[in-house]
Amino acid sequence: MPTSGSSSAAAVWAILRKECVSEWRTRYGLNAALLFAVTSLAGVSFAVGRLSDRVDVLAALLWVVLLFASLASLSHAFVREVEGHTLTMLRLVASPTAIALGKLLFNIVFLAVIEIVTVPLFVVLMGAPAIGGGFVLLLALGSVALACAATLVGAVIAQTRGRGALFAGVSLPLLLPVLAAAVSGTRAQWMGGSIAPDAKLLGAYAALLFAASLLLYDHLWED
Amino acid sequence: MTGLEATNLAHRYGARVGLEPVSFSFGAPTAIAVTGANGSGKSTLLRIMAGLLRPSAGACRLTVAGRAASREEHRASVGFASPDLAFYDELTVAENLTFAANARGDRDAATSVRAALDRVGLGSRANDRVAALSSGMKQRLRLAFALMHAPGVLLLDEPSSHLDDDGRAALARIVADERQKRIVVIATNDETEGRLADQRIELRGRGLGHSA
Amino acid sequence: MIARVLLLLWIGGWIVAGFLWAPLVPVLGETTRVLYFHIPAAWVTVLALGWSMLHSILYLKRRDMDHDHQAAAAAEIGILFCVAATISGSIWAKAMWGSYWNWDPRETSIFFLLLTYAAYLALRAAIDPGERRARLSAIYSAIAFVSVPFLIFVVPRIYFSLHPDPIINPRGKLDMDPKIRTVFYAMLIGFTGLFFWIQSLRVRIARLEQVRDTAAGGML
Repeated sequence: MPTSGSSSAAAVWAILRKECVSEWRTRYGLNAALLFAVTSLAGVSFAVGRLSDRVDVLAALLWVVLLFASLASLSHAFVREVEGHTLTMLRLVASPTAIALGKLLFNIVFLAVIEIVTVPLFVVLMGAPAIGGGFVLLLALGSVALACAATLVGAVIAQTRGRGALFAGVSLPLLLPVLAAAVSGTRAQWMGGSIAPDAKLLGAYAALLFAASLLLYDHLWED
Repeated sequence: MTGLEATNLAHRYGARVGLEPVSFSFGAPTAIAVTGANGSGKSTLLRIMAGLLRPSAGACRLTVAGRAASREEHRASVGFASPDLAFYDELTVAENLTFAANARGDRDAATSVRAALDRVGLGSRANDRVAALSSGMKQRLRLAFALMHAPGVLLLDEPSSHLDDDGRAALARIVADERQKRIVVIATNDETEGRLADQRIELRGRGLGHSA
Repeated sequence: MIARVLLLLWIGGWIVAGFLWAPLVPVLGETTRVLYFHIPAAWVTVLALGWSMLHSILYLKRRDMDHDHQAAAAAEIGILFCVAATISGSIWAKAMWGSYWNWDPRETSIFFLLLTYAAYLALRAAIDPGERRARLSAIYSAIAFVSVPFLIFVVPRIYFSLHPDPIINPRGKLDMDPKIRTVFYAMLIGFTGLFFWIQSLRVRIARLEQVRDTAAGGML
């Protein structure tokens, strides 16, 4: 039905906008994530110093910092709804798929903001090579895969007793392939190799996670 | 024409019985009071009717224009207000309702929001943050949220809780008005609320204390 | 009953055959026999994971609690065999490669399976028994299903680049001694039977627990 399709696009858009306004007014998740990113970056930098001659290690460190900064707050999108008891209202106005897609888009935007701050800081503080187009592609694909995994797992985790506590552990198996391919691609890029195989892997993984998520979103909330 | 029907609808929360089997069939326009002891499943029944809870046995069917509603249609034709319905504290009253209207695909959200707020007497507080509202005003906001999209079925769980005399009068006016056009379901143990309805579902769950 | 006795005799008999009848492979020496336990255990790990994920998806489709019992039981048994395969492999690695853990691609894959199982069971433990636990853990299981095959592609990439000369298992299955092959396949069958037997027991317990909890809830 075209009407239902357009109305759920409206729902996704409304949810994305609502998320951005809420986040901007409270800045709870953003502050926590940025602080976490800068803290772990400073921690890494203090622990190992400048590593300009070891780009292979730098690639790994960058993705570990990004992964942990995002893990610290990506579950927030749903935990906030459950803790504020606003999930009922949300479920009354939008389909589970529209809710999850709205949150997914918000998580992608959220990751982009964290990366815009963290990556340049990392390059400056750690002496990493300049960032090229290939790297941005890897970053984009990695972020989409990360956001897909985090959105689905976040929605599940928010309904458990521990809420946020389990999030990192439970999403890790889904994120390890992202981490491995992204690190391998970044390393190749910085060492002058081809990123194509890793970019393809990341892209395929992101697409598969997204497709599977679309099938599963419908089952997320039933009580 | 909207209809609401169920046969042997029941729900369990894990091991606990949430709702003993219940059957009914209603067609608009009407007002129904759902009564029963605490824990007999009034809220559970309303959540199932709203499509928020998947019952463990039986099904609750909503018919629109004589045919069964899809999940999307079901969501669009239900208005729901319960004491645990909460709004976004960091948004204003109007922003909360505008968000709901936009998500539902309402093309003239501003008009619907203003009309709904005026009906519950909350028009002057449209630009206040929800965090600043008293519990009575939050209850009015819940009613506005349930009404604003002119749903075929209006589900009100203890609608007069926290309301002052003025609020109760507004609620009575709204129900008297809505029951002419749609199905209004009120879950309550309050006799004044119960009198707003012309039919009754009495839940005979065990509630507290009694053994089955 | 008869089936269980046959299973016991079958596995017991082939273990004896593995020690007395089948020869040893020159390079591997006494460690040849790990083949009869380690690989079947690893096979059951994968089988149990597949079984668990299949039933998770069936649960989401049919909403029959029996599929949830199957999925949970297979995950519990799977993690048991996964630990057995990891430990036996690690001991073998110490004997052959000189260290217990090398992050060899196979070790990495099994470590990943352990993580996935552990995450699934940790998630289940955080939700009260009932429809919600069944549904949420089935969703997780289904999404984890996507990541498992990916790791098979991704693991060699990252670990080959870390290890310039990866140690690849020198044995080719094709030139396996016929006697070794016979015992090996017999043990695979035996372990598969063992899995389904334990699985049926675990599922029966889960069904009884559900009946008991429902009855207890009714009497409250």
